[in-house]
Amino acid sequence: MSVVAAVETVALRKRYPKVEALRGVSLRIEPGEIFALLGPNGAGKTTWISVVCGLVRPTDGSAAVMGHDVVREAMAARRLVGLVPQEVVFDPFFTPREALRFQMGYFGVRPDGARIDEVLAAVGLSDKADTNARELSGGMKRRLLIAKALVHRPKVVFLDEPTAGVDVELRRDLWAYVRRVRAEGATIVLTTHYLEEAEQLADRVAVIDRGALIALDRPATLLARHGEKRIRVELGSPLEALPPPLAARGATVDASRRVLECPFPAHGVSDLLCDLAALQGVVDLRTEQPSLEQVFLALTGGEKR
Amino acid sequence: MNPIGFRTLLAKETRRFLKVPGQTIGQPVITTSLYFLVFGFALGGRLRELDGIPYVRFIVPGLIMLAVIQNAFLNTASSLFVMKIQGTIVDLLVAPLSVGEMLGAFVLAAMGRGCLVGAVVWLVAAAFTGVEVAHPLWALAFSLLVAATFAALGLVVAIASDKFEQLNIVPTFVLTPLTFLGGVFYSARTLPPAWAAVTRANPILYMVEGLRYGIVGAAGSPPEIGLAITIGFLALAVGGAWWMLKSGYKLRG
Ligand SMILES: Nc1ncnc2c1ncn2[C@@H]1O[C@H](COP(=O)(O)OP(=O)(O)OP(=O)(O)O)[C@@H](O)[C@H]1O
Ligand SMILES: [Mg+2]
Repeated sequence: MSVVAAVETVALRKRYPKVEALRGVSLRIEPGEIFALLGPNGAGKTTWISVVCGLVRPTDGSAAVMGHDVVREAMAARRLVGLVPQEVVFDPFFTPREALRFQMGYFGVRPDGARIDEVLAAVGLSDKADTNARELSGGMKRRLLIAKALVHRPKVVFLDEPTAGVDVELRRDLWAYVRRVRAEGATIVLTTHYLEEAEQLADRVAVIDRGALIALDRPATLLARHGEKRIRVELGSPLEALPPPLAARGATVDASRRVLECPFPAHGVSDLLCDLAALQGVVDLRTEQPSLEQVFLALTGGEKR
Repeated sequence: MNPIGFRTLLAKETRRFLKVPGQTIGQPVITTSLYFLVFGFALGGRLRELDGIPYVRFIVPGLIMLAVIQNAFLNTASSLFVMKIQGTIVDLLVAPLSVGEMLGAFVLAAMGRGCLVGAVVWLVAAAFTGVEVAHPLWALAFSLLVAATFAALGLVVAIASDKFEQLNIVPTFVLTPLTFLGGVFYSARTLPPAWAAVTRANPILYMVEGLRYGIVGAAGSPPEIGLAITIGFLALAVGGAWWMLKSGYKLRG
């Protein structure tokens, strides 16, 4: 391909003394994408981002940002990057405005009051601009982190669980802002445990488990491939025995024996309806859309560790 | 090259200590004034001269050196250590700041604090002894080089330390004893031979003597030796800090 990847890792490995956090992850993220990295706790998402941002040295393999190797051309690679770290960190000595001015400067951008005001407004911190950082609430501190990651107009933005523990309003604002930053030409890489967030926001998602890439596709494709539309039937009284035609369709009943779930047939639903007619006392019936959550659980073996 | 980044970090590190003038400037002014009153006048009344220098003048360079060493060391050590503990070091580690730019900014800011406090101590002392300086260039050279040495040492200690206790080992068990035993308040010549030998093995002695030569014009050892020793230690400390930042030792996982 002629276009240089926004981020590309090739067989990236990171071994810690006790655990191999990345076992050869090859991933290519295109310019202008919103890309979500999903995976259970400890899967290696933060480690992958940390290697790409130069915070962690790879054991093997390579990582590049816009074609600049993060080890050999570290300075060129870092100039392009903005990072919201997973942990909330702040310097209680300085105000948000000061923190943003320093952040721009570190990245070699001449501090610009108008840009700082713009970013503060975008994350809803305008009225706290000159308040000491220690007086900000937890969610406000996270907003400041987001502002810091964006103020120098990075080409590639890494958001490591940017919406963990933030209120609904900020989450919505943030999604809108992420889309705007992308529209201005940046590439966005985010991790999240809110699968709905990935589904709505991301062009593509990668699922990492135990340091290895186990799925990579558009959310819709993943849903089509691994997700399953289901029909859910609620009964007025417990079901004695599952009628054989339904059992043959792979239907299951829950512990209360009042809820029956059955995969939605790919070709027409009429036959299924006939089979369902055998059930007595149906109270409710609905179809359930496949969700990324379902896909995620199927791929990672069920438990969200 | 990232000159804006370098200037920003330098400005930030400088603002950090200027924001708390009571702690960074007020406290050393009080302590040195007290040293000066107690040792210079109360005791100096009996001990009139050392190495041919009036005692009140004899102790001035040592007090300045004490302030320069402690403040230069403390500025880098505490700033970097706190950043490490808070996690805000990430801001610097992801930024396109080269090793030289980071090291230079930290060390220059700490030199600024060391030399500022040193200058304040000198002004306080000058109120008692007069302002004349025998060899201003030597005095300046020693102040700057010693400040740079201990600023770089502060970085090394902060990077290597995982806990506050470890951070305090060097100032408590090394810097303070060596400075006090480095001829601040006494001359090595007045000691019994065995203790004189121990004192002469202390590198800080030569730094104090060097500044004493610069300010008072006479000292127990030639300034050239002090200069060579200081430059040697400066190279060691800067080399150590450089290696740590370059390799990512304890900073990059
Ligand atoms: N500094 C470190 N030293 C040793 N092991 C580490 C270190 N950082 C992470 N690990 C280990 O590497 C593995 C991957 O961790 P990582 O933080 O990348 O997971 P994650 O996918 O971001 O998880 P989460 O969703 O909980 O944030 C884990 O087993 C973790 O214990
Ligand atoms: Mg993580």
